[in-house]
Amino acid sequence: MSFQPTETDMTEPPHTARPATAPPALAVASGTGKRTAQTQARSVSLRNLHAYYGDQHAVNGVWLEFPANQVTAIIGPSGCGKSTMVRCINRMHEEIPGARAAGTVLLDDLDVYGEDTDVVAVRRAVGMVFQKPNPFPTMSVFDNVAAGLRLIGTRGSELRDRVEHTLKAAGLWDEVHDRLHQPGIGLSGGQQQRLCIARTLAVEPEVILMDEPCSALDPVATLKIEELVAELSRRYTIVVVTHNMQQAARVAESTAFMLNGELVEHGPTERMFTNPEDSRTEEYVTGKFG
Amino acid sequence: MPEARAQFRARLQNLEEMALGAMDMVTSALDRALQALEHQDVELASLVIADDDRIDGRYLEVHQGILSLLATQAPVATDLRTVAALMHVIKHVERMGDQCVNIAKLIPLSGHHPPVDEKIIERIETMGRLARSQVSQAKQAFALRDSALAEDLARQDRQVNRLNREIFAAALELGGDPDAREWAAYMMLVARCLERIGDNAVDIGEQTAFVVTGLFREFSDASHAAPR
Repeated sequence: MSFQPTETDMTEPPHTARPATAPPALAVASGTGKRTAQTQARSVSLRNLHAYYGDQHAVNGVWLEFPANQVTAIIGPSGCGKSTMVRCINRMHEEIPGARAAGTVLLDDLDVYGEDTDVVAVRRAVGMVFQKPNPFPTMSVFDNVAAGLRLIGTRGSELRDRVEHTLKAAGLWDEVHDRLHQPGIGLSGGQQQRLCIARTLAVEPEVILMDEPCSALDPVATLKIEELVAELSRRYTIVVVTHNMQQAARVAESTAFMLNGELVEHGPTERMFTNPEDSRTEEYVTGKFG
Repeated sequence: MPEARAQFRARLQNLEEMALGAMDMVTSALDRALQALEHQDVELASLVIADDDRIDGRYLEVHQGILSLLATQAPVATDLRTVAALMHVIKHVERMGDQCVNIAKLIPLSGHHPPVDEKIIERIETMGRLARSQVSQAKQAFALRDSALAEDLARQDRQVNRLNREIFAAALELGGDPDAREWAAYMMLVARCLERIGDNAVDIGEQTAFVVTGLFREFSDASHAAPR
C-alpha cells in the first residue's frame, strides 16, 4: 500500500471532524472555465474506508492514495469490492438502500463525507463513467453534454463553446459535429461511451471514476477510450475499475489489487504485472484464480 | 476448483521442457566433440556438425512457441519472467551448440597425428569436464528455480577462464616446431569454444536468478577486470 496507517490514524473516528482551518466544504470545482491542456487535478485519499450493504461488509479498511493527474487501475475478481470502493469516492454508494460507508475519503484536503460537504458538489468534482454507455435516451448529442452545464447556469454562446470544447476533449467532435441534434442513443456503443465521458467532462470535474468503461465495447472502441484516458490524465485524476488486466497494464501508472473487500497490494503497474510482492496478486494476475 | 489457464500452463511447461531438453542435446554434442578431439575422430566430428541441425530446429521451435504464447496468452508476473527467460535460455543453448560445432570443425584441421602437448591436453580435458558440468548445472538450477545453484556457475566459470588463460600461456611457450605451434593454436581455439560454453551456462544461470527474484543482474561483469 502506498499509504501506511499510523497508530493515530487507525484510532480516528470513521468520519473525521473538519479542522477549524479547513477550506469550506464547497471548495470543489465550480464548473466554470476550461481546464487547460495540463491542469493540476486533485488527489484522492482513502483512509480506513469501510463499506457495507446492510450486514455485508463489502470494503474492509482500505487505505489508498490516488495521486493527482495519474491513472490508477483497480483490479480484482468479481465481488471483491472494487466498484463499491470507487462508488464511495463520490458518495454514490450511499444511494443504494441499506448501504453505508465509514472511514475517510479526502479530495485533497476536503473531507468528502464531512458534515458540511455538499454531495452535489462532490459529484460534480468527482465524475463517473459506467460500464454500459448510458446517454440520456431522449436527448440529442448536444443536449447530453449540455444538460449538466445548463444546471449550473451556462447559456447561449458560452454553452455552445463549452459543448464543442468538451466533445473535442472526449475525442468525439470530428465524428458528431454534423449531427449534434440527432439522438445520442443513435451513436455507436463506443461513441456513446465517449459521449458519456464528454457529459462527465462538461462540468469540469477534478476526478473521473470509470467503472469497467470498455467492457461493453469492441476492441477499436476500447482502444479509443484507452487513448482518451491517457490524454485526460494530463488534466484529471482517473480511477479505472477493470476486469481486463491488459487494459490496466496499458492505461494505468499504478494498479491496486483487491480481494474479499481488502486491498492486497498497490504499486506501480509495471511492477504489479512483472514482479508482484504478494503471492495472492501473483496468483490472480497469472490467472490461477478469479 | 480446477486451475485456471490450464492450457496456457501446459504450453508454458512444455516450452520449458523443450528448452531445457535442448541442453541435454548440448551436453551430448559436447561429449562427442571432446571424444572426437581425444581420438582425432573426424567421422564423429562430422556427426556433431550434422546433429547441430537438431539443436537449431529446437531453437526455432521454442522461439516460435514463445512468440505464440506472448501473442495469444499475454503472460504476466512469474509467467512473463519465465517466458522472457526461456527466450534467452534457448538462444544461449543454440550458441553452445554452435561452439560444439566449432570444436568439431577444428579436429580435421589439427591433423591425424598431431604433436600433442600433454600439459595443454590435460587442461583441455579438464575444461571440457567443467563446461559439461556447467551446462548440466545450469539446466538443474533453472528447472529447480535454485538461485544459489545458478550463482555457483560463476565460481566454476572462473576455473574455466583460468584454464583458458593457462592454455594460452602454454601455447606461447611451445618451441620452434611449426606443427606444434599450429596444433597449439587450434587448441587455443578449442579452449576458447569451451570457455564460451561456460559463459553461456552462466548467462542461463543469470536468467534463473531473474525468474526467481524478478531482478536481472550479471553474476560477474565482463567489462571489468575478472578475478584471477
